[in-house]
Amino acid sequence: MKPVDKKRVEALTRFWQAHKRLPSYREMLQLFSWSSKGAVHHFVERLIRIGLIRRDAEHKLSPTSRLLHIPILGTVEAGWPSPAEEELVDNISLDEYLIPRRESTFLLKVSGDSMINAGINPGDLVLLERGRDPKHGDIVVAEVDHDWTMKYFDQPEKFSPVRLRAANPKYPVITADEEIKIAGVVVGVVRKYH
Amino acid sequence: MHTPFILSSFPRAILHVDGDAFFASCEQAVHPEYKGLPVITGKERGIVSAASYEAKAYGVSRGVPLSEVKKLCPNAIILPSDYETYSLFSLRLYAIIRRFTSQVEEYSIDEAFADLTGLRRTLRASYEDMAGQIQKRIHKELGITVSVGLAPSKVLAKVASKWKKPAGLTVIRGRNIHDYLEKYPVEKIWGIGSQTTTFLNKYGIKTALQYAEQSEEWISAQLSKPFQEIWRELRGESILPVTTEPKDTYASIGKSKTFTPSSSNKNYVFAQLAKNIENASIKARRYGLLAKRLIIYLRTQDFRHTGVEAQLSRASAFPNELLVAAQNLFGQIFNEHEQYRATGVVLMDFVSQDSLQLSLFERPLTVNNLRALYEAIDSLDARFGKHTVFAGAAFPAYQTPTYVGDRAELAGRKKHRIKGETNRQRLSVPMIMKEVR
Repeated sequence: MKPVDKKRVEALTRFWQAHKRLPSYREMLQLFSWSSKGAVHHFVERLIRIGLIRRDAEHKLSPTSRLLHIPILGTVEAGWPSPAEEELVDNISLDEYLIPRRESTFLLKVSGDSMINAGINPGDLVLLERGRDPKHGDIVVAEVDHDWTMKYFDQPEKFSPVRLRAANPKYPVITADEEIKIAGVVVGVVRKYH
Repeated sequence: MHTPFILSSFPRAILHVDGDAFFASCEQAVHPEYKGLPVITGKERGIVSAASYEAKAYGVSRGVPLSEVKKLCPNAIILPSDYETYSLFSLRLYAIIRRFTSQVEEYSIDEAFADLTGLRRTLRASYEDMAGQIQKRIHKELGITVSVGLAPSKVLAKVASKWKKPAGLTVIRGRNIHDYLEKYPVEKIWGIGSQTTTFLNKYGIKTALQYAEQSEEWISAQLSKPFQEIWRELRGESILPVTTEPKDTYASIGKSKTFTPSSSNKNYVFAQLAKNIENASIKARRYGLLAKRLIIYLRTQDFRHTGVEAQLSRASAFPNELLVAAQNLFGQIFNEHEQYRATGVVLMDFVSQDSLQLSLFERPLTVNNLRALYEAIDSLDARFGKHTVFAGAAFPAYQTPTYVGDRAELAGRKKHRIKGETNRQRLSVPMIMKEVR
């Protein structure tokens, strides 16, 4: 096997360990930074030929035991795995770090200064996770009177009334008697200088 | 009384997920201020691509000209299509379904099939609960609604997902199939077209139930295999598999584009055609396909079409060759007294790039050179953007914008660019386009 192929096979193994399934063709495009599904197809066919994966009766791909036995760590020929290689396994990309739940995270641009004392400035991008239940102290984006606003979510006890508090004394506290709809929880802020 | 086709509820449990007014729903999800308002996409095309349910209430539907929309629903919000955002939503829709089962078929941008068979114990839920959970997660996380249908086969799952819209959840169990098919018109069944409908009507078959109740002998004597399969699927037998492999082969690849203003300039109209041919061959090459047949067509301002086709002496996906053939055909149908507003091309009869047969008097070197040339062009395009290198004949089409005036408005994500993003590279995270204070 070519060294590049070996890297790709390792990526497949890692994917399998994380998800307990093989990636779809589309996911392989991303995994290998390819742009052609044809290339993925040929690669898959090659792996089937050499017996690393197989296609079952329903045309689904699954790994053979050979694929699962390819060690991800270290070299197999001789010696100990180097510490540097061992570290690699635990790396995550900045993307994964900032966006733990990929399917429900959205970008949102901040225009006002209501969270300025929380370090969120006008022009910043925030990462908003939808469908997550807010907890006391979270920063949330809420819809109040058809307007969108970013505030601290205040609810110290489980059934106490919800209050939305700005990180800027200029703005009053919003209480629950106005209708509050939580659009999502802010999970990160991005500010790019260059 | 009709006898049930099968007695067990779900010999297989097939789910069909269908986006409700998908493009319009995506727009409402990223523009929360449009929630509850009539939203229409397709501004750049001049006709409705998708209409939100609020707009549908005014009688607006797909394909209606926008001038008509302004009369039906004067307060409609009309937006240019933001395909970038829609496809991000689409990928997320598939990903959410994949949390439940790996057997997911990405049927189209707003539709997916999933096979849930055998997962009840692992997921500790009934099939109906799984369907409900998938629907709920999509709504909560993406902010759009989908209608879902659960049934023993794909054809029935499609009937089910259409049964109640929007946000419907319809379950067809084996023993209840006939209740759903009784009033279901035969022409609405997935895979049955107008030709077959006319044929079936001649025999008095008007509803899906009448179709399903025909004898097997009659069906196999009168109809071809795909319709025999539909017949079995309607009776609760799962024949069509949920295919997880992406589509890697095409029967034909077509590209067409409208341009405004219309034109009777021969060079300009041909340039538009050349651009379509380049786009179609880029797609063919991406899938490793070479076409043996080429169709070109022109559309005039009053919506008349003229088309002509040619058989190629050797299969090709290289504009260098296709343009020569097209120029010939173009000369046959172009009329300088007409005003043209669109051109189109269809590539057909594909062979795989690897199984190319040379014609008798051809030098293999020519093909190899072309292949090397287009490999180089494709890699340049991959690096610097589509159409970095293009055919000279298409040049006039690149000098003028495709849309002018009202239709030229940039679509959502192109308008709201983030620092560091370029014209052709943007973050793969959808953006909510309302600013927050």
